[in-house]
Amino acid sequence: MTNVYIEGIGMTKFGKFVDKSMKQLLVEASIEALEDAGNPKVDAVFVGNFMGGSIGNQEILGALVANELGLGHIPTAKVEGACASGGIALRQGIMGILSGEYDTVLIAGVEKMKHASTADVTQAINAAMDNESNEKQAGLTFPGFFGVLANRYFYETDATKEHLAMIALKNRENALHNPLAQFQKPTTMEEIMEARIITSPLGLFDCSPTTDGAAALVITREKGAIHIRSSAQSSGPTQMQDADDLLSLPAVRESGRLAYEKAGVGPEDIDVVEIHDCFSMTEMLAIEELGFFNKREGWLAVEQGRTKATGDKPVNTSGGLLSRGHPIGATGVAQMYQLVQQLRGTAPNQVENARLALAQNLGGTGSYSTVHILERL
Amino acid sequence: MKVYQCDQCEYASVSNKYRCPSCGTGKLQERDVSSKGTVYSYTDIHIAPAEFAHLAPYTVALIQLDESKAKVTVRTDGNVQIGDVAELDYVEDGAYIYRKC
Ligand SMILES: [Zn+2]
Repeated sequence: MTNVYIEGIGMTKFGKFVDKSMKQLLVEASIEALEDAGNPKVDAVFVGNFMGGSIGNQEILGALVANELGLGHIPTAKVEGACASGGIALRQGIMGILSGEYDTVLIAGVEKMKHASTADVTQAINAAMDNESNEKQAGLTFPGFFGVLANRYFYETDATKEHLAMIALKNRENALHNPLAQFQKPTTMEEIMEARIITSPLGLFDCSPTTDGAAALVITREKGAIHIRSSAQSSGPTQMQDADDLLSLPAVRESGRLAYEKAGVGPEDIDVVEIHDCFSMTEMLAIEELGFFNKREGWLAVEQGRTKATGDKPVNTSGGLLSRGHPIGATGVAQMYQLVQQLRGTAPNQVENARLALAQNLGGTGSYSTVHILERL
Repeated sequence: MKVYQCDQCEYASVSNKYRCPSCGTGKLQERDVSSKGTVYSYTDIHIAPAEFAHLAPYTVALIQLDESKAKVTVRTDGNVQIGDVAELDYVEDGAYIYRKC
């Protein structure tokens, strides 16, 4: 159990913002979070970001935030953990408060991807693979990794591409009610099933988009309404060929196990969940690894609608990465934005009387995972 | 095909590590094994990064080696299905190119 509370949240609209700089997005989300928290004195800043240097030629994001907001000479840092950068930045802030060094920390996450060409973005994303490996040289990509997992999942279970489409459709339907989500156009099973193939069996709707956006949180040791019950982080293989069980994401499993243990709760106690659905297949595996459903039976739960906002284990009520959007460094922070709203009772796709919430943020091909469990006091 | 086999437990990988990640105490020993194996899973990559775009669509497969617990990620010459038997054809720019037997 931690003694850390979330006092403020902020988030920009997710989408394509050619006229806004990465700094502007970061500052916009941070100011909203500070105002929501009642403008407390901030002792440190941690910013989650992945490719600001490689495709934006902009680093020193922590110092930029402190300077733009007039926070004084406080320490700041940028945290990189591929798509888990946001979750790890939050965890670094929590550790800073737990150590006794800080009372109040501003966490922000940002990415600006839409200005770059698809080839440049794909190249920059590939920095999150082991680039010296024979696997990368074979031409494996991120969607390729989850395509290989999906084909094996179909082979070992009775699941089909339709089950992945059900996940994509559910997340799109959730996004329709989220004004900050990137995709707000309705879709159908037919459109999803017939969309062009990216890496078989995954089609366009099975893959998260590139996105511009930022999110921010103010966390503090002063007791408030939203308690961070636990924070956990784990690592996993950086190469597919090193997976002991291909249909397992050990970093997700282990970070979940640790987070439950520290919080003193189990998967059955969680009321609402944000999961790292970088691909529809990733959500399928993560709902199993986090213990919500049995291994190789997640597809049954999906078929029965149990992960819909109206189901008994609502997953990605924000629209998830697939439809809320995936500005890489902001994602882990944006998950918390949705869950805090759920616990305050003000969320899009509000789950009635939600008290315990769980967020899981993944980086690389299962290389990093963070899990945070929140509680409404 | 070179694999690295733990001297204390069953763990094996095509990449070397300082310490066995499975038992935490064993040392990995280099071994030569047959490249022959079975397709464990695969994907056909239609959208590729710039450096592989000229190959698309191409197939990447995970091969379970016959003579080791290790698996290896390869590019295949043509389409494959799970269960197909395949072996190394040649090595290109650090990638193993497999063909069906
Ligand atoms: Zn061992």
